[in-house]
Amino acid sequence: MSAETKPQLELRQVTKRFGGVAAVDGVTFEVAKGDIVGIIGPNGAGKTTLLNCISGLYRLDGGDIRWDGASISGMAPHRVARLGIGRTFQIVRPFGSMTVRENAAIGALFGSAEARRKPKEAFEIADEVLELVGLAAKAGHPVSTLTIPDRKRLEVARAVATKPHLLLLDEVMAGLNNVEIDQALDMIRKVHATGVTVLLIEHVMRVIIGVCRRAIVLDFGQVLAEGEPDVVLRDERVIQAYLGERYAKRLKS
Amino acid sequence: MIVRGDSDRRWRRIFLILGIVVAAYALLAPLTSLDAAQSAGVPLLADRLWFRIATFIAMFVVMATAWNIIGGITGYAAFGNVAFFGIGAYTTGMLIAKARWPFLVALPVAPIIATAFATLIGLPLLRLRGHYFAVASLGVGVAVGELVQNVEYHGQPIFGGASGLFLPIYSIDNRGLFFFYLMVLAAGISIAVTWWVLRSRFGYGLIAIRENEEAAAVLGVNTTAYKVAAFALAAALTGMAGGIFSQWNVFINQDNAFPIEYNVQMILMALLGGTGTVFGPAAGAVLLQLLIQFLGGSLPISADIPFVSDAARPIVAQVILGVLLVVVVIFVPRGVIDFFGGRTRLSLAYLRRSLRETSL
Amino acid sequence: MADFVQLVILGLLAGGVYVAVGVGFGLVWGVLNIVNLAHGSLVIVGGYLTWQLFTTLHLDPFLTLPVDAVALFVFGYALQRGVINRIIRAPLLFTFLLTFGLNLIVVNMLLLIFGSDFRSVTPSYSGQGLELGSIVIPYVRLISLGVAIALSASLAFVLNRTRTGLAINAIAADRDAAQLVGIDLRHAYAVTYGLGAACAGVAGGLIAMIQAITPTAGEPYTLQAFVVVILGGLGRVSATVVGGLAFGLVEAFGQSIPGSGSVFANAIAFSLMVLVLVTRPQGLLGRLR
Repeated sequence: MSAETKPQLELRQVTKRFGGVAAVDGVTFEVAKGDIVGIIGPNGAGKTTLLNCISGLYRLDGGDIRWDGASISGMAPHRVARLGIGRTFQIVRPFGSMTVRENAAIGALFGSAEARRKPKEAFEIADEVLELVGLAAKAGHPVSTLTIPDRKRLEVARAVATKPHLLLLDEVMAGLNNVEIDQALDMIRKVHATGVTVLLIEHVMRVIIGVCRRAIVLDFGQVLAEGEPDVVLRDERVIQAYLGERYAKRLKS
Repeated sequence: MIVRGDSDRRWRRIFLILGIVVAAYALLAPLTSLDAAQSAGVPLLADRLWFRIATFIAMFVVMATAWNIIGGITGYAAFGNVAFFGIGAYTTGMLIAKARWPFLVALPVAPIIATAFATLIGLPLLRLRGHYFAVASLGVGVAVGELVQNVEYHGQPIFGGASGLFLPIYSIDNRGLFFFYLMVLAAGISIAVTWWVLRSRFGYGLIAIRENEEAAAVLGVNTTAYKVAAFALAAALTGMAGGIFSQWNVFINQDNAFPIEYNVQMILMALLGGTGTVFGPAAGAVLLQLLIQFLGGSLPISADIPFVSDAARPIVAQVILGVLLVVVVIFVPRGVIDFFGGRTRLSLAYLRRSLRETSL
Repeated sequence: MADFVQLVILGLLAGGVYVAVGVGFGLVWGVLNIVNLAHGSLVIVGGYLTWQLFTTLHLDPFLTLPVDAVALFVFGYALQRGVINRIIRAPLLFTFLLTFGLNLIVVNMLLLIFGSDFRSVTPSYSGQGLELGSIVIPYVRLISLGVAIALSASLAFVLNRTRTGLAINAIAADRDAAQLVGIDLRHAYAVTYGLGAACAGVAGGLIAMIQAITPTAGEPYTLQAFVVVILGGLGRVSATVVGGLAFGLVEAFGQSIPGSGSVFANAIAFSLMVLVLVTRPQGLLGRLR
C-alpha cells in the first residue's frame, strides 16, 4: 500500500444503541488521507450519531474506530480533537458571549496537540482562518449578530482553527439558499485544498455531487451503498430509501 | 449591536473613581489606629467595630470572587462553596488548637485541604449539569458541616462537636489591623487570580465550557480537568478565607463556619456586581455586605426604621433583604451584569426588555 | 428480627412525612423547572395554620389540613402569578435566588407574627398508639402516613385525570408546544405552584402534630425534599412516594448503626443523595428527560 491509499480513518462494525434501538448498526468504511467523502441518508439514518461516535461524544456499543492505525474508541472528545479530528455541529453551537474572533481562537488555543499556544498566537491563527472562511470583516462582532450562514461559517472556522487533519462537517448547508450553498461549497473546497481530509454529512444531493469523490449512503444505521457519488445516487436501493421517506412524510401530513 | 452612550461611559468612570476612593479609604484608615498616628493626633478612623465590619467585607470579597471562578466564569452553579470555607476554617483551627501549630504555618494548609477536597468531590459532581450540580453541591456543603460537628472517636468529638472549637488568641500588636490586612491580602490574591484566569488559555477554556461544553470538548478543551481545576481554585481561595477567619474569630462551630446562607450571599454578590468579571464580585460583596450590616443595625450610621422596635429590627432587616433580593432578581437580571460588563446601557427601556425576556 | 421490623416500621412512618414534604417540591421542580428554596417555609406556614386553628378554635388538627391546603394553594397561586412567573425564563441561578429571597421574607414574617417560641399541636390522642407486641406505633404518625399517601394519590389523580392536570403534564413535556395548543401558561404555572404549596401546607400540618415547630425550622424540610425527589426521580408522583419512603428507611437504619445517632441523619441522607445523583441522575424510578 502506498502512503496515499493507506486509510487515515477506519470504522469497523461501529455500533451505537439508544435503549433497544441501534442508531448506528455495524458501520464499516474507510477514509483515505486527503479524500473528501460524503455521507448521505434520510433523517434518522444515524449520520449525526456516527459523527458523535467518531469525535468521542458517544461511547461505542460495539466495533472499533481507528485513526492512523491506532484505536481511538472510548477516547475523550478533547483528545480526539487534539489528534487532529475537527468537527462542526449541525445545530450551531457558538460561544455566545464571545466575539467571532474569540470563537475561532478557542479552536486554535486548544485544538493542536503539539502547541500550547498563548492567546496572542491563537488570535493570529483565528484571523487567518476567518479570512479563509470569509468572516474576516466580522471578526470583532459578537456572535449574536451573525446571520445563519455566517454562524455556519463560524462553526467551520472554529474547527479549522484546530488545524485538523480530518474535518467532520455536519450538514453545513442545511437551511442555506442556493447562493449561500455555492459560497459554502467554495469554502469547503478551499479548506480541502489546504490538505485537510473532509468527511461531510449532507442532505443536499447537489453538495455531495459537487465536492465529494466518494459517497456513503446510510439508512437505518447501516451502510446501504458506497462508491462514486453519481453512481451511488442512481442506485435503486438509495432512491427507494429516499422515496420511501417522502411517502412516509406525505402520509403523516 | 453594542451601543455605548457618553453618559454610560461617564457613569462607569464615576463608579471607577468611587471604587478607588473607597478602596483607598479602606486601606489607609486602619493606619490611624496605630499608636504612632494616635500620639501624633490623627483622628481615629478605624475602631474595633470598623475592623470587624471591614474584615468581614474583605472575607466576602474573597468568597464572592472565588465563587465567580466556578459559577461565573465556568458557569457551574455551585451552591455548596461554604463547605470549602468551613473546611479551611477547621483545618487551620484544628492545627492551631489541637496540634499547636503557629498560625502562619497552619494557614497555608487550609487551601491545600480545601483544594484536595474539591478535587475529590469535583470529579463526580462536575459530571452533573444545571440544577443537579447545584443541588448536589448544596448537599455536599450541608453534609460536610454535619460531619464536622458530629464525628466522634471513642465518644469524644474530634472537631470540638456541638460546642465548637476554641483557638488560642493570636498574640500580635494591633491584632485587628493585622487580620484586616491579611484578609485584604487574600481578597487581593483572589482578584489577581481572577484577572490572570480571564487572560489565560485556562480562562478561555472555562468560558468555552460555560458557553457550550460539548463544543468546547470537540475543540480540544479537556473539560473535566478544567472544570475540576476551576472548582479547586475556587475552593483554595475560599478555604484560605476560612483559615484566616478561624484564627481571627478565635471560635468556630458549625453555625459560623458552615452557614448555608453564605452560599446564597456569595452568589448574590457576584450577580450584583457582574459574574465573569474581575472586580464585579468584589464590588457586589462590598455593597451587599454593607447593606446587610446597615439593615442589621451594626453600622454606626444606621438610621432607625420607622415603626420598628429595636428587638424586631434584625427580623425586619431580613424581610427587607428578602424584598430587595426579589426586586433585584426580577427587575435587573441581565441589567446589572451587562452594565458592569460594559455590554449595555442601563436604562428603563432596558430593564423593561430584560423583564420581558425572562417573564412568561 | 423484631428490631428489624421495628426499624422498617419507624422508617416507613418517618417516610410518610418525607413523602408529604417531597411531592409538592417535586411537582414544582419537574413542571416549572424551579428548585423552590421557599418550600420549607411554606411547610412551616402550614404548621402554624394548623397550630392557630387548633389552639384558638380547638379544631381537630387533622381537620385543619384541608384549610392548610386551600390557604396555601391561594398563596402559592398568587406568588407564582405575581412574582415567580416574571423570571421563569431567566437562568437557573435567578430562580434559586428569587425563591431564597421569598423564603427569607416568609420566615421572618412568621417570626414577626408568632415569635421564635417552639409551638406544638397536641390533640388528646397524641400520646396514644397502636401496640403491636413490643412495638408502639403512635396513632398520629400512622394517620400521617395515611394522609401522605392519600395526598400523593390525589395529586396523581389531579395530574393524570383532570383537564388542568393534563395541561400541567403538557407543559412539563414542552412548554412552547403547550402554549401553541392553547394552554394558558401563566394560569397553569400558577396552579402548579399552588398545588405544590398546598402539598407543603398539608405536610406542615402533619409535622406540627409530630414535632414542635418554629419559624426557622423550615430549612431542613427544603433539604429533605431535595433528597426525596432526587432519590425517587423527577417527574412522577409515584417516584416521589418511593423516594420519601426510601429516605425514611435509610434514615431509620442509618440511625441504628452503633455510634452514629440521630445527628448523622442529614449527613447520611445527603451522602446518599449525592451518590444517587452521580450514579443514577434520573433517580431510582425516574426517566431521563
